[in-house]
Amino acid sequence: MSNVILFNLTTFLFGVASALYLGALYAKNEKISAVGTWVCVLAAVVSTAALGVRWYESYQMGIGRIPVTNLYESLVFFAWSVNLFYLIVERKYRNRTFGAFVMPIAFFTMVFAVYNDSSIQPLVPALQSYWLHAHVITCFVGYAAFAVSAGVAVMYLLKARQENAKISEGVVGLLPACKMLDDLVYRAIIWGFPFLTAGIITGAAWANYAWGTYWSWDPKETWSLIVWLVYAAFLHARVTRGWHGRRAAILSIVGFLATIMCYLGVNLVLSGLHSYGGG
Amino acid sequence: MADEKRTPSPMDRVWDFFISVKLAIVTLIVLASTSIIGTIIEQNQPSEKYHQIYEDWAFALMDRINLFDMYHSTWFLLMLVLFTVNLSCCTIDRFPKMLKVVRNPRTKLDGSLEKSLSLLDRWKRKGTLSEWAGKYTEALSGSFAKPKVTEDGGEVHLYAETGVASRFGVYVTHLSIIIIFIGAIVGNVAGFKGYVNIPEGEAVTQVPVRGGIRIQDLGFTVRCNAFSLETYPSGQPKAYKSDLSVIDGGREVLRKTIVVNDPLQYKGIWFYQSSYGQAGGATAQVAVTRKDGTPMGALALTANEPVPIDGYGIVRGVNYEQNFQGKGPALQVVVEKPGQPAASFWLVQARPDLDRQRADSLVFSFGGLNSKMFTGLQVAKDPGVNIVWLGCSLMVIGLIMAFFLSHQRVWVRLAQGTDGRVEVVLAGSASRNRLAFEKRFEKLQTGVKATGQ
Repeated sequence: MSNVILFNLTTFLFGVASALYLGALYAKNEKISAVGTWVCVLAAVVSTAALGVRWYESYQMGIGRIPVTNLYESLVFFAWSVNLFYLIVERKYRNRTFGAFVMPIAFFTMVFAVYNDSSIQPLVPALQSYWLHAHVITCFVGYAAFAVSAGVAVMYLLKARQENAKISEGVVGLLPACKMLDDLVYRAIIWGFPFLTAGIITGAAWANYAWGTYWSWDPKETWSLIVWLVYAAFLHARVTRGWHGRRAAILSIVGFLATIMCYLGVNLVLSGLHSYGGG
Repeated sequence: MADEKRTPSPMDRVWDFFISVKLAIVTLIVLASTSIIGTIIEQNQPSEKYHQIYEDWAFALMDRINLFDMYHSTWFLLMLVLFTVNLSCCTIDRFPKMLKVVRNPRTKLDGSLEKSLSLLDRWKRKGTLSEWAGKYTEALSGSFAKPKVTEDGGEVHLYAETGVASRFGVYVTHLSIIIIFIGAIVGNVAGFKGYVNIPEGEAVTQVPVRGGIRIQDLGFTVRCNAFSLETYPSGQPKAYKSDLSVIDGGREVLRKTIVVNDPLQYKGIWFYQSSYGQAGGATAQVAVTRKDGTPMGALALTANEPVPIDGYGIVRGVNYEQNFQGKGPALQVVVEKPGQPAASFWLVQARPDLDRQRADSLVFSFGGLNSKMFTGLQVAKDPGVNIVWLGCSLMVIGLIMAFFLSHQRVWVRLAQGTDGRVEVVLAGSASRNRLAFEKRFEKLQTGVKATGQ
């Protein structure tokens, strides 16, 4: 189907963008990463079109529904969100080195998606709800923000080691200053946190409307709470106890690992209510 | 005073313990890490299942510390209580201080405040204090916020602020958590959750709750008129539908077809479509005619139940197939006539005349299987749920206030300089997102400086 072809093209473009950003770092060439930005913009257009086409095709099959309801669709939607969130960050911070650390996340997500069933399946009764839209979109904006934060946290750790050693050469030398990276780690989280909160709340509201319980300690719910608690700890440590730099960066990476567990691990390893279990 | 140097009393120490953010961070991390356990060990399973997985001693130990229902265990609830107490104490300790600061802002840019601010500019102007105070008041009102003007010891101070609400964000968020917990407690104490199966055509007035330990009276009757299952062409389920009626005071007061994600509510009690199944055995409809075509009537056969026909013999339905030899639904029938061996044959629904081949005195034709279904309903009453939603809404509002608003303050001090000119100091600070405020301050600085030039 044409949507899958467009998604495959997106995967390719994400790969090219990642390679360009990494190449630009090694070659210390700004022009290469500028091309990377245009590839990202193109990928954003293609993947948005792919989501639209998939949505349209589902209507043609007589089972019209938003394309975010199984593992394949959720992976491509996650990659789409990461790419978009990244473009906003790049534009706002006017620095292209982030791309080398964030775009590979989008690329590998798409590669993983390609190995999953990409057919359009009808919705089981439990998923037929308007809450689906609000729940999935809020969760994934949150996840994307956390992905960007973790990518930047890795940059921070690399850069900080070099700044401590008082050298500024090599690939790492091109990275933005520690202060800016540290700020961005935090800034991405304060975007992600309210969205994750809204995602958990819309999930609870939906569960209450479908089953009469807003919280049942299902593994997915519990892991979303774990993620929420980790970032809540991050924010308290940062704002009131002045956790900056290394410790904040590590906590951001821990938070993102918990996010991956919540998003994928629960479905692939544990059992529960969410639809894309087992792929 | 001597009192202040005294070592803190035990009460003070307890208080200091509960108001520390360190405790909050530790509690958050401990809650997060212990919560993992219950996602790895499947919760609330029958104990035989655990016995298959764990050694006896491990099972005994895990059962003792409630690992099989850990989220409702005393130790986990105690952690939630500690979390709430910590949250409340922090609020009680800090909220009045914050309120005091907000109510009585430092409206005068004195020396010590000036030293603590990094965004600062100074210049001189010819003219009088009041003239420039008037001009700058207007400039600030236009581009920032209307300033408060104070005169003190020959100096004029202007103070303007925006985004004070940002200071309240954290308290709104913390309060929201307490409200959610209150809602959850109200729901647990005053509500119930149950599950009931209602066969088609039947009604219930009570539901078993808490896994059947207790019976809850509904105070009215709910009847299932019909249940139906719709499938997609591929055979996957599309919709489970229950046609329900509520009967109160002897008459039907409400009728609704519910599906998953569209429940029925009456007097605060909600009915959710949850499962379905076959109620009792199915009945096969079999039409009987004489060889000459005269109709004899219809039989309703239940599995293996013998039905006698006067002057003929005994008929039993023994088997049913959804797709018999590719011909669709079919019923296997056994006929026993007195003094003859039993005869067994299949009746295919799609071919009602097939039985004529048997050349018997009676011809049977299969009219289909009538299976009575039951609908499985989740039944819940939760008077706390709206309190929970109130808390959730407040949480989102609180987070937005805390993260996306910034308490921005701007001071202007005007003093008569020794050279006869007016000395102006402009300063600013923001409670968060200082980078963005720096840009705003620069603009403001240019604007204010250009005023009256």
